[in-house]
Amino acid sequence: MKPEAQEREPRLLKILPYLSLVAFFVVWQLLVDTGIVPRVLLATPSEVGKLFIAKLTQAQPDGAVLWIHTVVSLGEALIGYLLALIIGIPLGLLMGWFVVAEGLARPLFEMIRPIPPVAWIPLAIFWFGIGMSGKVFIIWACAVVPCVINAYTGVRMTNPTLIQMARTYGASDWQIFTKICIPSALPMVFGGLQIALALAWTTLVAAELIASDTGLGFLINMGRRLLRPDMIVLGMLMVGLTGFGIGILIDWIEKKLTAGLERGGSAS
Amino acid sequence: MNGPAEAAVGLNPRVYQSGLGARLWAFFHNRYVLYGLSVIGFLLIWHWAALHSSIAKFLPTPAEVWAEMVRLSGDRLAGKTLWGHLWASLRRVLIGFAIGLIIGVPLGLFMALNKYINAAVKPVFDLIKPMPPISWISLSILWFGIGEESKVFIIVVGAFVPALINSYNGIRLVDPALYDAIRMLGGNRRQELLQVTFPAGFPALFAGFQIALSVAWGCVLAAELVGARSGMGYIIILGMKVFNPAMIIGGMVVIALVAGLLSLILNKVEKVICPWKRELPQ
Amino acid sequence: MSPDQPKIVCQDVSKIFTQRYGTVTIPVLESIDLAVEENEFLVIVGPGQCGKTTLLRIMAGLETPSTGRVSLDGQPVTGPGPDRGLVFQKYMLFPWRTVVGNVEMGPKLRGVPKAERREIAGHYIKLVGLEGFEKAYPHQLSGGMKQRVGIARAYANNPKVMLLDEPFGQLDAQTRYLMEQETVRIWEAEKRTVIFVTNNIDEAIYLGDRIITMVGKLPGRLKSTYQVTLPRPREHMDVEFLELRHKITEETELLL
Repeated sequence: MKPEAQEREPRLLKILPYLSLVAFFVVWQLLVDTGIVPRVLLATPSEVGKLFIAKLTQAQPDGAVLWIHTVVSLGEALIGYLLALIIGIPLGLLMGWFVVAEGLARPLFEMIRPIPPVAWIPLAIFWFGIGMSGKVFIIWACAVVPCVINAYTGVRMTNPTLIQMARTYGASDWQIFTKICIPSALPMVFGGLQIALALAWTTLVAAELIASDTGLGFLINMGRRLLRPDMIVLGMLMVGLTGFGIGILIDWIEKKLTAGLERGGSAS
Repeated sequence: MNGPAEAAVGLNPRVYQSGLGARLWAFFHNRYVLYGLSVIGFLLIWHWAALHSSIAKFLPTPAEVWAEMVRLSGDRLAGKTLWGHLWASLRRVLIGFAIGLIIGVPLGLFMALNKYINAAVKPVFDLIKPMPPISWISLSILWFGIGEESKVFIIVVGAFVPALINSYNGIRLVDPALYDAIRMLGGNRRQELLQVTFPAGFPALFAGFQIALSVAWGCVLAAELVGARSGMGYIIILGMKVFNPAMIIGGMVVIALVAGLLSLILNKVEKVICPWKRELPQ
Repeated sequence: MSPDQPKIVCQDVSKIFTQRYGTVTIPVLESIDLAVEENEFLVIVGPGQCGKTTLLRIMAGLETPSTGRVSLDGQPVTGPGPDRGLVFQKYMLFPWRTVVGNVEMGPKLRGVPKAERREIAGHYIKLVGLEGFEKAYPHQLSGGMKQRVGIARAYANNPKVMLLDEPFGQLDAQTRYLMEQETVRIWEAEKRTVIFVTNNIDEAIYLGDRIITMVGKLPGRLKSTYQVTLPRPREHMDVEFLELRHKITEETELLL
């Protein structure tokens, strides 16, 4: 590619993203306004916007204000997520280093691992009912998998030279584990956190769609029952926005904690 | 197999030197022995717990789960055996997966090759990307009803995102010096695409396929959980509704096995198609 | 074309890179005048960042000069092409193709039928000493072997000129010396005009008929020319070798 070709960034290229977004919303609005798509099937962006403003203060027609739905969803997701971290990361780290830990935990883990997260939903509801504990269980079951995998891989990838060097200093197994393996596994662990979070959020929405009485997933479901596509779209957008927001938060936390370290890749 | 744990243990001065102690230690530190013990222990604990009166209602024994799976293979549930339902799910996955790829891969390709297309499409894609595929289910059912189309639609949404992302990245991250090399050998623009862009981007593309397939499998289950009359999702939610935990767990076992099998098959296919070392773009 | 017209000529070539859409200019080369004779082995030696790679890329046609022009056999060079064979420092082999797949790529692009191009590829694979490794993939080869493939791949197009851009920079010292010896052997077996870029004075004296030193950083320019008349294969410990080495080292900023 010749550098001369980059003399001036064409103005079109700069404004195209904005044009595109505007066009997207305009086409969307027109599709419904002109009747090409029946109003009962799709709400216009302006209707979604109006509902957003309304739901900031009104609990009707689904039973709760938008803020409450979001907080409930977030709360359930975060609790399950944190439990998954607390159990999954130490487990993965131990499995990576101690043969006994791996030998005993691995078969059970390999049985859980291929289960798609949503497949846990009926079992969880059967055992725990529709309330929060069922959701937390589901989130935990699926988020724990990437945490374990990444922590395990992070430890397995420890530079063997460092370990041998520590042995020459007479370090015990446990000391090597805590002082060398764990710090060296940190970048991979953070990679796993991001994956687990995205997974937790998606699975929570699915769980709420199926059985819940509050939360953003419930909002989406209600929208269908009441034939209110504006509610459906509002729910979807809120889910997307919230998920995006927490992702940014985790990125920020990671940057603060691992400043200077090389960032690891993602789990398989 | 030879991780730091192995390297370390060999040098550990605290290992018993000889005798019964050494043999026992070695036996219980053999990973395969531990696997075996773990599996057996797990089944025993499960069986014992399931017989305990307070949990028996919620937890079937391993034997009961097996019996239920055998029963479902023969009896018909809403018109299909277990395998019929499995095929119903798989069929939806395959169709949705194929459509998702057909949309996602070329789009990612054009976005990677042409700055204008990228500038136009990317913002809309970034808007849609954070919304989980399952959140489309309500719209989908509203539009298409409870039939096949609504489920396939969700799968398409779910599969096309990783397909596009990996197609885009795989092609965008091709080492530009490879293009220098092909041009010095006399390649024209079309040959650049065929001989460098596609083969260089293919491993990442294939990784995208693998992700898309596993997402698709999750999507079909989610869609079937919400509203379906057939499929593996239908089986497990039915098990929940009629208080038949053996059906739930049996269904989950089949689901997990199929998911594992699909990913194993794709791995093998990859080794055949891409015998050179795979370099994943980040 | 008369026999004593030089093969490749650079007339008053200079190069300025622009960044940030024209707001930042970086001068890389300044008034380069250069003429290379047919079948001459020319080595350009200079420190890092002096623009020697850019000069080579301009001669290859991958960059266009900001001023001046480059001509090959009297014709101006306007773009990349198989009549100039380029060997890259980072090998740049196609990882999805085997050794023979890489070497035959040039003929394949030109539409040469399979049997013929296999034969051509086989000949050059043998020339570079990789017989037996035709079906191997690049990731299975060592650095030295990869570079042999790179050389064979460029040769397979029967180029008028071979351009080598610090081809042995990634190799360890032993392999590097071995490859230098191999380069002389291959070149003597099939003579071409060669322009070889390096930052290693020993390598330059070992290989070249003529050495041109480059100095200066952003921009770089040509400094002196040395004719090397020592017979090949050359000995690093010979008095003449060491004298020349001393002279060049004095003049440039290079240490070895």
